[in-house]
Amino acid sequence: MAVVDQRPTAARCPMTSGFKPFDQDGTYEFFSLARHEAPVFYNEETDYWVVTRRQDVLSVFKDPARFSAANVLDPLEAHPEELTRFLADNGFTVEPVQSNTDRPKHSRIRQCAGQFLNPKRYRDYEPRIRALVQEYVNGLRGKDEVDIVAELTHEMPARVVFMLLGVDDVDPLLIKRWALNRATMIWGKPTRQEMIDAGHELNDFFHFCKGIVEDRKRAPRDDYPSRLLELRGDDDSVLTENEIVCLVFALLLAGHEAVTNGLTISILTLLEHREAWEELVADPALIPRAVEEVLRHSTPVLTWRRKALEDVELSGVTIPAGSKVLLSLASANHDEDRYARPSDFDIHRVNARDHLSFGYGIHVCMGAPLARAEMRIVLEELVDAFPGMELVEGQQPEWTRTMAHRGPQSLKVRLGGSDHG
Amino acid sequence: MAEVTWISADGERITAEVGDGVTLMEAAVANGVPGIVGECGGGMMCATCHVYVVSDHPTGEPGPIEADLLDFGDAPRRDCSRLSCQISARSELDGITVEVPPAG
Repeated sequence: MAVVDQRPTAARCPMTSGFKPFDQDGTYEFFSLARHEAPVFYNEETDYWVVTRRQDVLSVFKDPARFSAANVLDPLEAHPEELTRFLADNGFTVEPVQSNTDRPKHSRIRQCAGQFLNPKRYRDYEPRIRALVQEYVNGLRGKDEVDIVAELTHEMPARVVFMLLGVDDVDPLLIKRWALNRATMIWGKPTRQEMIDAGHELNDFFHFCKGIVEDRKRAPRDDYPSRLLELRGDDDSVLTENEIVCLVFALLLAGHEAVTNGLTISILTLLEHREAWEELVADPALIPRAVEEVLRHSTPVLTWRRKALEDVELSGVTIPAGSKVLLSLASANHDEDRYARPSDFDIHRVNARDHLSFGYGIHVCMGAPLARAEMRIVLEELVDAFPGMELVEGQQPEWTRTMAHRGPQSLKVRLGGSDHG
Repeated sequence: MAEVTWISADGERITAEVGDGVTLMEAAVANGVPGIVGECGGGMMCATCHVYVVSDHPTGEPGPIEADLLDFGDAPRRDCSRLSCQISARSELDGITVEVPPAG
């Protein structure tokens, strides 16, 4: 007997075959069509239902009872059996603790983590973040043409995370490699061997995090793992020790790709829109607004995921229970129903800040205030030190190829030599 | 269900019936109460739904994260300060009145 295709016509619309989950060329053009012609559609390549309108993305974020977050960090490509066995045999006890947990576990853990990861605590770190950024900017003085990724935006966010973790003796480039491995294993399309190699490194990384927690048990400091241990007391119903290790692991990985890409994209987008850069040079008080418009216009985290726990209708399309759902944050942030002329980059846009780049609701990104502060401080220091900075003509930067993260792997700029610092 | 009244910083009064379990932040946004943004959507990452609970209703005490955010926000914290995303409507809050702090 033939299986009847339950998917509505809109979900099988031919135009949606233009969706290229791993290739970001033309992605905004595709989504501007999709929002009108097939706002919710099924993609066979990935087996995800793709949601493109801002209102629909928002309603999914607002509805944790019907949309589970359990699949947020699931690898798109299943781990080879050999790797699964290796990890199991080597004490790799990573469990869901934050973005990929549902209530009530999520509420319990977030109540603990949020006592350290919150805007008030982050504010206390700002002078140190500024000093760190100035250290990098001072290292650029006197140079002319540089790759701003290699010289600033790649490494710096790792060192901000180190501040929170109280880590001061690790090569940030090692952490960056681990973080990229993790991101590629989740959102990319690694080969089998790449997956196995990355998995071995991931295991080293997990044991490194275990070591941090063990150390803080013996010698508490004023840092995130020590605070989690203090909150735990010896009570597994508050937090287990493994959950604390996983929270440290999660913090060390969270935000690397996203913050690095956010920083690089903000520099790229502003230099591509020279008049906006000049405005920031003249009036740095506009920088927080520019940061929001970058996050809206050139969203660094393109997609986020959920799983439908029951049949749910969005824009007239029924997503069946059990379906995997891909929320296009980039598309939501360009929705004409919310943003006039969405592809224009306009730092004076009044509603830029209501973009969905950090999610919304109970799972909203806990690093959002920190990421915003890093972007703001980097731009403040750059416009001050190198007001004449410009893009090197003719470069074709390579972009990350994952389903979630978008960012140039290098970005050559000319600093302008007009250092007045 | 609870009848909730917001008093904006300009003194405008807005009253609405709010269903059980709906937060006062969500209801304020849905009713266009000026000054209540609810930017993070209830994840306790901002303080843009800060209110002063000026009637004598049992809303409880802020938890530790909420307390940090009330200290962090632009508006002065008072004894009756709460993040309205952390108050869900229920019958015992019927008739509650909250004031929106002036913009910082």
